[in-house]
Amino acid sequence: MNEVQLFSTCLAEEFFPEVERASATILQRLGLKVRLLKSAFCCGQVAFNEGFRSEALDLARRFMAACDPAMPIIVPSGSCTSMIRIFYADLPFEDAELTAKAAAIRPQVYELSQFLVRVMKVKRLGARFEGAVAYHPSCHLMRELNAREEPMALLSGVEGIRLVEVRDREECCGFGGLFSVKFPHISGAMLSDKIDRIRQSGAQVVVSNDCGCLMQIGGGLSRAGADIKVRHLAEILAAR
Amino acid sequence: MADLSDIVARVKDALGSSARGDLAEIDANGAPLHALSANDRAELATQFGHELKSVAGDYLGICRADEAAARIAALAAETGVRTAAIGEGVAIDTGAIATALETEGISVLRTAPGVDADNRTQTLRRVADADMGIAEADCAIASTGTLAVVSTVSRPSSLTLLPPSSVILVNVDRLVRDIAAAVATLGANEIANHRVTLITGPSRTADIEKRIVLGVHGPKSLHVLIVWPRDE
Amino acid sequence: MAVSPKATDFFAASEAGAADHELQRKLESASARHLEHFAEVRDEFTPYENERATARAIKENALGRLDELIVELTEKLTDHDCKVFFAASADEAREYIVKLATQCGARHVVKGKSMTTEEIALNPALERAGIEVLETDLGEYIVQLRGEPPSHIITPAIHLSKEDIGELFHEKFRVSYTPEPEKLTAEARTRLRESFLRADFGITGVNFAIAETGTLVVVENEGNGRMSSTIPEVFVALMGIEKVIPKLSDLPHFLEILARTATGQKLTTYTNFLRGPRADGDLDGPREMHVVIIDNGRSAMLSDPVLRESLMCIRCGACLNVCPVYRHIGGHAYRSPYPGPIGSIVSPSLIGSSTAYLPFASTLCGACKDVCPVHIDIPRILLHLRWKETSSPAPPPWPHDAHRARAGARMFARLARYPRIIRFLGHIAAVLVKPFAENGWIGSMPPPFANWTKVRDFPAPRPGHPRPANSAGKSIRNGRS
Ligand code: SF4
Repeated sequence: MNEVQLFSTCLAEEFFPEVERASATILQRLGLKVRLLKSAFCCGQVAFNEGFRSEALDLARRFMAACDPAMPIIVPSGSCTSMIRIFYADLPFEDAELTAKAAAIRPQVYELSQFLVRVMKVKRLGARFEGAVAYHPSCHLMRELNAREEPMALLSGVEGIRLVEVRDREECCGFGGLFSVKFPHISGAMLSDKIDRIRQSGAQVVVSNDCGCLMQIGGGLSRAGADIKVRHLAEILAAR
Repeated sequence: MADLSDIVARVKDALGSSARGDLAEIDANGAPLHALSANDRAELATQFGHELKSVAGDYLGICRADEAAARIAALAAETGVRTAAIGEGVAIDTGAIATALETEGISVLRTAPGVDADNRTQTLRRVADADMGIAEADCAIASTGTLAVVSTVSRPSSLTLLPPSSVILVNVDRLVRDIAAAVATLGANEIANHRVTLITGPSRTADIEKRIVLGVHGPKSLHVLIVWPRDE
Repeated sequence: MAVSPKATDFFAASEAGAADHELQRKLESASARHLEHFAEVRDEFTPYENERATARAIKENALGRLDELIVELTEKLTDHDCKVFFAASADEAREYIVKLATQCGARHVVKGKSMTTEEIALNPALERAGIEVLETDLGEYIVQLRGEPPSHIITPAIHLSKEDIGELFHEKFRVSYTPEPEKLTAEARTRLRESFLRADFGITGVNFAIAETGTLVVVENEGNGRMSSTIPEVFVALMGIEKVIPKLSDLPHFLEILARTATGQKLTTYTNFLRGPRADGDLDGPREMHVVIIDNGRSAMLSDPVLRESLMCIRCGACLNVCPVYRHIGGHAYRSPYPGPIGSIVSPSLIGSSTAYLPFASTLCGACKDVCPVHIDIPRILLHLRWKETSSPAPPPWPHDAHRARAGARMFARLARYPRIIRFLGHIAAVLVKPFAENGWIGSMPPPFANWTKVRDFPAPRPGHPRPANSAGKSIRNGRS
């Protein structure tokens, strides 16, 4: 394998534009040619999760038209990866050709850390990052994609890093896409527990591989006036 | 109002044409039963005792059949029992136990077969008023410290439910390894034809702050004695 | 019911729960204690994972030929002299039981814990008929005294502290205040013992019904289920159609996983095998035993290939204990006898449109699916229900701001088909909000993002303006970008 596709996702494009560059850098350092998927913008998860299946279908079609099923597709997001890799199977594509294409694409889609550890079999990327870092596992990454070890393995390989543990770190941050604005009171209550625990951990930086979690946790930290930053995993792994 | 055919028709409809041929027959049977050696039984008894203690039961150990009556009478006397209710045994002679209790000055209620409808309530009350209920289990499960009690006319299961202190004897031959073995030993027939209760420790609750408290509605204490037939 | 509950009530109820830190503390410590108990028994005897797979396979098989199993069970129960009644709806079940109680002149009903009786709103109907109904499970007894519904399917009073319960007993029984669980339990024991002995009518739910032997299995720890099925002259067991399992030998698998996940035990204290009324001369058991088998939306769930899985649920309550939404709003907010993740997938079918929002009130974090002993894919079912609700002819009316958020998301999804346009709009948005950003975050946003900034800041959009590469480390101390 010498070429991969990179889909940076809509949230990253709009709010965390460095994620694409950082992900590409990591992949290139491994000798891979990176093709950016620019003719698709969103995988359709936001529509799918809300029950708007025809809109989700449209976006899925668009996404599938943009990519080459013969080449791995790297996505720096646990939830977008699970949307494509898992939930595209639940979309009622109307013709056999699309269904077949979806079946061909789904297994080619990898969340970044899973791709690095499981496919490329690397754990040390020569990254260097100074500071106390808390890793926040995103729910979809852990429970839909079953990636519990990979991000930690990669972070442990970063030089200078000091990993700190957040109590109950596997508990959801409360983002949940539109849940965060439809039920702000519940989302906020979950977030405030998360923020308390992060503050207790002594972390200077919270790292996650989902921009949704970064928005939620970052927004909560900023609101609380905490001097703790959020960073995408790719940024840490690309840092030297 | 719906009847069986309505419900079945609804369910059939709901299942549609989904092919039943595909349904794998689930073979959920436990390991086959085989005869246990005396050693095995001793081992199971030890495990049983350990598990019983872990669910706050009182394990009285193993004794010979002819010692059982004295052991239980002593226990009753020690714990200040004034009345005890006792049923007929399965393999053990509970008559001897009743006599031993009476010798200690404890009044004994024998649940005789053939309670008639009129004095049922009264009998239930008398069992409930007893300080101790004594019964023999049909089977005991080593892996969970459980006793299986089959309710019959002469061995009503309220003996193990109503009195605050419950004493259960079980013959060592009736010890089995796990729940599956117990269910197999009792057999589909026995279970289809009797009320059966599996008892694992004294009555308990965790309804207040998930803190464990014993003796909610059933017995507060459970004492179990394993009886080893005299000739071994 | 006098006032039919509205779906939108969920918002107020969950808001109240989310603001109740005391409640959250209680739920957190109870779940923590629960998880400790569970960890102790998780891998006792047969490895837990194998048991889960076997139990699921048995349920899958049973649901696939449920019609045959219901016939077999009914024949066996009838042979045992049970009277079997089929209820298509909650109304039919409730009316049957109330009529039966009235006909046999029942005055004191004792009940074991049964969520299905909550589903059919049985207690108020019995009370209206002038019959006293007493919940006898300690937790149920406590919430009944408070005039509340249970807030958890296994631990009904999980939302109360021992102090709350101490005060309740003090107030209701005029006994001196004590927060000690042992003393409170002893008080309840004395009071309920007398009620059991005078009860003339008993009701419990059913955990498993074995078709092969015509046996109803009722699992419990306190002994109240045993009492309710042993002492009263008339006994009614209420069960959903999905409770049937084929064979006696299937049962041990369920007993093991249920005890472990529900209460962290290897086996519950009492496993009662009920088969019918007592024989002549027997002391124990009812003179008459009725089995009410209820559909009430279950066959419709069965016919839906995605929803069907939710009928495998053994009501262990584990998904509630791990659910962050449940733990932050409490069971009452769901306004369904089935709260938490399992409640969110079954309530729309079993309770009705007043619970239409529940499938949406989830982050889809999947903690429930991980813990579920029969591997029910709850998030997938939630997604399925969201789609069903959204595309139904009468979708639930959303509160204004939530509606706006949904409309916004839909609009976004439509525009996102045209990457150039959406990117252009993204750039414009970034320019517009830039003046309001501080350190990369915005404290207050207009709708549809106003709800976002109610509880946290919003990230300033900056498409095309990445932080310089390799700056992740250096920028820790100086703002976001
Ligand atoms: S859905 Fe699963 S975890 Fe939840 S109550 Fe049912 S069986 Fe238990």
